[in-house]
Amino acid sequence: MPARFARPAPETDEGGLWAIMDREERRLRRSPFALRDAKLRAYVQEIACKLAGEHCPDVRVHLVRAPLFNASMAPNGMMQVWTGLMLRVDNEAQLAAVLGHEIGHFLQRHTLERLRDAKARSAFGQFIGLFGVVGALAQVGALAGMFAFGQEHEREADTIGTTLMRNAGYDPNEAWKVWANLVLEIRARPGGESASPLFATHPPAAERQEALIALARDAAGGATNEAAWGEHVAPYRHEWLTEEVKRGVPEESLALLTRLKERSPKVAAYAWARGEVYRLRAGEDDLDRALEDYRAALAAGGEPPEAHRGIGLVHRTRRQAAEAKASFARYLEAAPQAPDFAMIKSYLEELSL
Amino acid sequence: MRLLPIAPLLVLILALLAGCATVTKVETGEQAVGARLVVSLEGPWNRIDAPGMGPAQVWTMEGLPVDQLLVYPGIKNGELVHASTGGSAKTFAFRSSMQPHEIVAMFEGMMTRDGSQFKLARLEPASFGGGKGFRFEYSVTRRSDSALLSGVAYGVVSEGELYAMLYHAPRLTFFPRHRGRVEQMARSAQLRAADAAALKASSGGGKRDCMRNPVTGMWTGC
Repeated sequence: MPARFARPAPETDEGGLWAIMDREERRLRRSPFALRDAKLRAYVQEIACKLAGEHCPDVRVHLVRAPLFNASMAPNGMMQVWTGLMLRVDNEAQLAAVLGHEIGHFLQRHTLERLRDAKARSAFGQFIGLFGVVGALAQVGALAGMFAFGQEHEREADTIGTTLMRNAGYDPNEAWKVWANLVLEIRARPGGESASPLFATHPPAAERQEALIALARDAAGGATNEAAWGEHVAPYRHEWLTEEVKRGVPEESLALLTRLKERSPKVAAYAWARGEVYRLRAGEDDLDRALEDYRAALAAGGEPPEAHRGIGLVHRTRRQAAEAKASFARYLEAAPQAPDFAMIKSYLEELSL
Repeated sequence: MRLLPIAPLLVLILALLAGCATVTKVETGEQAVGARLVVSLEGPWNRIDAPGMGPAQVWTMEGLPVDQLLVYPGIKNGELVHASTGGSAKTFAFRSSMQPHEIVAMFEGMMTRDGSQFKLARLEPASFGGGKGFRFEYSVTRRSDSALLSGVAYGVVSEGELYAMLYHAPRLTFFPRHRGRVEQMARSAQLRAADAAALKASSGGGKRDCMRNPVTGMWTGC
């Protein structure tokens, strides 16, 4: 591992880049998109520190409200971790795989090489945008963190990330699973992998997955800390799932939520969220599937009140007044402060006529 | 690297800068919006037209992107509620079978396509266009500049078509300044019968003039 980096001279291109990133970090601190939860941030910072070793003081974690899979690390040490990533990882080790990968880019100073390349291609603005506040969102969509660099740099970061995971006591065998889960979502898109030009310009998904499996083979074992991870993110699960449902990409969301539901069938929120996606898509048989998922959420127990609302809305669409009324009544009882209370109450009155 | 479609608002602003957008004055008094929707205005508005805009008429008091009133004058089943951007970008289309909750979710999806955040504050039944419609209040954190916006919207589905108006503006000054006239406009909205609308359309449209915004001074000499 290289020694800690000194701040570059301001007159150099690297010094200029640091100055820009410092400005972006100040913006990020003030941004309404920042997730300001000291406990969760400290927890993620601790994971990053375990990975970064002596570089820990240079890594500053910022949690960002954005429903896409992404983490990034700027050359000045600003690390963004998006909520869409935190929804998708199953344990600490999987998050460590992504953070370790980003720290790998940082340690190898890939960003600087990329900056020079971007300048040569007159793509400087696009490059800077990757690290700005919720920067990559409009540029590369769900895969920003995994494809920000060229093939060689990505492979190198994967190798370093695996080493950092092992050094920190995490199971490197979790790294390829992050990738496989992400590919599952991409393949669910209409058009599949071919709909993503990123797949054409980067190592094929299967190749990268195989490489991560091979890297883990030599360093099997280690912690996943699934219980600790679950405990820390549980308070945000409903909010992050709500954001996922809103994305308006039902095929991708269904792939994600099906995986999460199968992995944790006792978590009512996953079944509820998938039911929401089916209801909003409203394709053939989707309302039946939505009902099935809402009922699974009820059976699991601890369901969000919105599961009752969902059942009511499906029955209202089907003009099944008695069933709709019963579910709406349960929703209003469970969520008296809901923003749509008045609307649901009007449905109840209408169904009683 | 894949580039996602540029937000329709940005397209509008670029069109304005390029000089291919027009700004016209919407006069005080009774105004027809599309074939069936008629509203009564207590004061004038600016209407923006540019190539590639979506199905909604875009009105503003302060100038884009400060505040925006989207008026949907009858969206048919299957029609997108935003400009078509092509490619594999996600889209949001109206279905005649949608309930108010699903319509709100559709508009929410439309407004957050660029990564902005939306929060529903209230959804309630309301009369709109003379029919049994709905009203919702919301807030948006705009991705492009982190501005915090407040919004109010009305909608109704009539004869399988969606009629709606959505207004949002920065929450501290501009939203409170114009909210009253938006609410008044919504209360005044009426839907003509379809055959009466066809007759009116065949008799021709009205005259529109350009207008200078007194606050921002934007879009003069259009």
